[in-house]
Amino acid sequence: MNTTGADGPFRFMECSILPVSTGLRAQTLRELRSAIPEIPESSLYYHFWGRMLRPHIAESEFNNDFASWADGGLGDIELAEVLSAINPVKCKDFAELRSILEDILESRIDQGDFLSWKKADREFYFIACRKFMFATGKVASSLEDFPAAVKTATRQSFFHHFLDGRRRSPEGKDDFTLWLEQFGETTAEVRRLLGRVDSYLFSLGELKGQIVSILEKGLRKGGKK
Amino acid sequence: MMSDMLKQYGEIIGFHATDSLLVIAEKLRGKKIVHVNSTKEGGGVAEILSSMVPLSRELGLDVSWEVIEGDEPFFSCTKTLHNSLQGMAGGLSDGQIASYTETNRRNAERLKDCLEEADYVFIHDPQPAALLGMIPGRKGKWIWRCHIDVSAPNRSVWRFVKRQVEGYDASIFSLSDFAQPLPHPQFLITPSIDPLSEKNIPLSKTEIEKTYRELGVPRDKPIILQVSRFDRFKDPLGVIESYRIAKEYVDIRLVLAGGGATDDPESGQVLSAVQEAAAGDPDIAVLVLPPDAHRAINALQSGADVIVQKSTREGFGLTVSEGMWKRKPVIGGDVGGIRLQVINRFNGFRVRSPEGAAIRIRYLLTHRWKRERMGVNARQYVLENFLITGQLRNYLSLLVTLDGGEGEWERWI
Repeated sequence: MNTTGADGPFRFMECSILPVSTGLRAQTLRELRSAIPEIPESSLYYHFWGRMLRPHIAESEFNNDFASWADGGLGDIELAEVLSAINPVKCKDFAELRSILEDILESRIDQGDFLSWKKADREFYFIACRKFMFATGKVASSLEDFPAAVKTATRQSFFHHFLDGRRRSPEGKDDFTLWLEQFGETTAEVRRLLGRVDSYLFSLGELKGQIVSILEKGLRKGGKK
Repeated sequence: MMSDMLKQYGEIIGFHATDSLLVIAEKLRGKKIVHVNSTKEGGGVAEILSSMVPLSRELGLDVSWEVIEGDEPFFSCTKTLHNSLQGMAGGLSDGQIASYTETNRRNAERLKDCLEEADYVFIHDPQPAALLGMIPGRKGKWIWRCHIDVSAPNRSVWRFVKRQVEGYDASIFSLSDFAQPLPHPQFLITPSIDPLSEKNIPLSKTEIEKTYRELGVPRDKPIILQVSRFDRFKDPLGVIESYRIAKEYVDIRLVLAGGGATDDPESGQVLSAVQEAAAGDPDIAVLVLPPDAHRAINALQSGADVIVQKSTREGFGLTVSEGMWKRKPVIGGDVGGIRLQVINRFNGFRVRSPEGAAIRIRYLLTHRWKRERMGVNARQYVLENFLITGQLRNYLSLLVTLDGGEGEWERWI
């Protein structure tokens, strides 16, 4: 869903995400597996997307909370790697994401009894969330204004348009790309570069820096390279 | 037009972030919000409210702050509550329960009008929690804000507190580990520090030197500092032990600075034990500071070489963020909210023993470049995650969310 005003100026939105305890927790792989069907969709959202807005550092090796726990809590790096390879943007909905997660955990449990019962150093707390989105009143009217506007947008606004935007779009496109499409060939290269950015390997601040750099270079002089 | 105060915050967090705060606040315009806690000064809760209330007003919100009045038996009871919720054995006596109930009843009478007409009431910690049941004519939504580590509470005491808080519309805990089964949504929001408060504003070198001089602490050796109440869970004796182990390798001074709070009658006993352990060592300074010594604490933190917060239980540990804001790596106990703030080797170290703290003190003092790098990371980490503007944004978002009811978790407003 593009809420930015696809044919007019880019309207900056942002979101607030509030974590809510589910009361569910897991200390073993089996416990983690059996809780997955129970958790609400917002918990999947929180553990895959919400982490970008929480205290975290760019050096985090894994890109979702399940993978981080498999590594840091269980000491199962192999599982952490497999979990980390999940790209939630490629799932058509939360049901598909849940099912992929279940399959991976099930498969790991099948590989050995010790792994499935091993107690983690720290429990996994399933956290759900409440989220609301709102218009900030900020707009960017032209391609020339756009990079500076993105540069000064808040973390929450950048998250909403770039990361969460990819989730909302059926084609996995971020809001910036969708808006730039109206300018046709002029922005084709910028859109190609935006599409190639791996959103899971950086902190939000680093990611923003990278996107702004692409926009600044690509949209200089009215959008001509 | 943006006020001077908002401009100052804007210069730190960015003007678009302050604008966002204004947009969220606009959705609560005209609503009356009341905070209630048990002390006007001393301790993290009072400090947060001292900043949050004026900032909320700058956003155009109708916010007030009430403090419950209690006597010695009441605060002795609530200290037991506090300790027991953090896992200490024992329970509440009938006399303590009577004192707790009676004090809350008296305060309910006094605050009745204000609390009845409020649209939102934040009750901080267990001390005033019973007010809810004593204001039957309330029309607003009530939120219980728990600031302490209740991850493994004494169960009989938790049952007592649970009876007081289960009727609330929502509760807030600092970490997921602390949340308890309750029949309402439990939000997870961390506390924060105020970059504009006396405790956190930048100070000149001259003022830092002067403060150290006035407090009688020479700066001829590297300074290891722990700032906290004299509370057993802050482990001041463990810090002295760490200092003694480290001192065999590096010549250092230890400063333990803190004070009591009006709602903490136990601090005197802990202070005596600390003074006894430090007696005869000229390189240990035990400083008992008044609750309003914010600028002195700022100077101590700004002038320290290594900051320690070796707690054995910790709700959050605001002193950790305070130290990090001054570009200091922090050596913190591997507990509670310290885990959220200190990331090993990135902005400090988490430790589980005096020996562990000692080796990290030695490491930081002998790796200056590393120490400075970690200090830069520490400041940035606080900027992004633990400033009062972010906490207020979360509180206001929570109120907006509560108004939305129990439906969809994700909505456009």
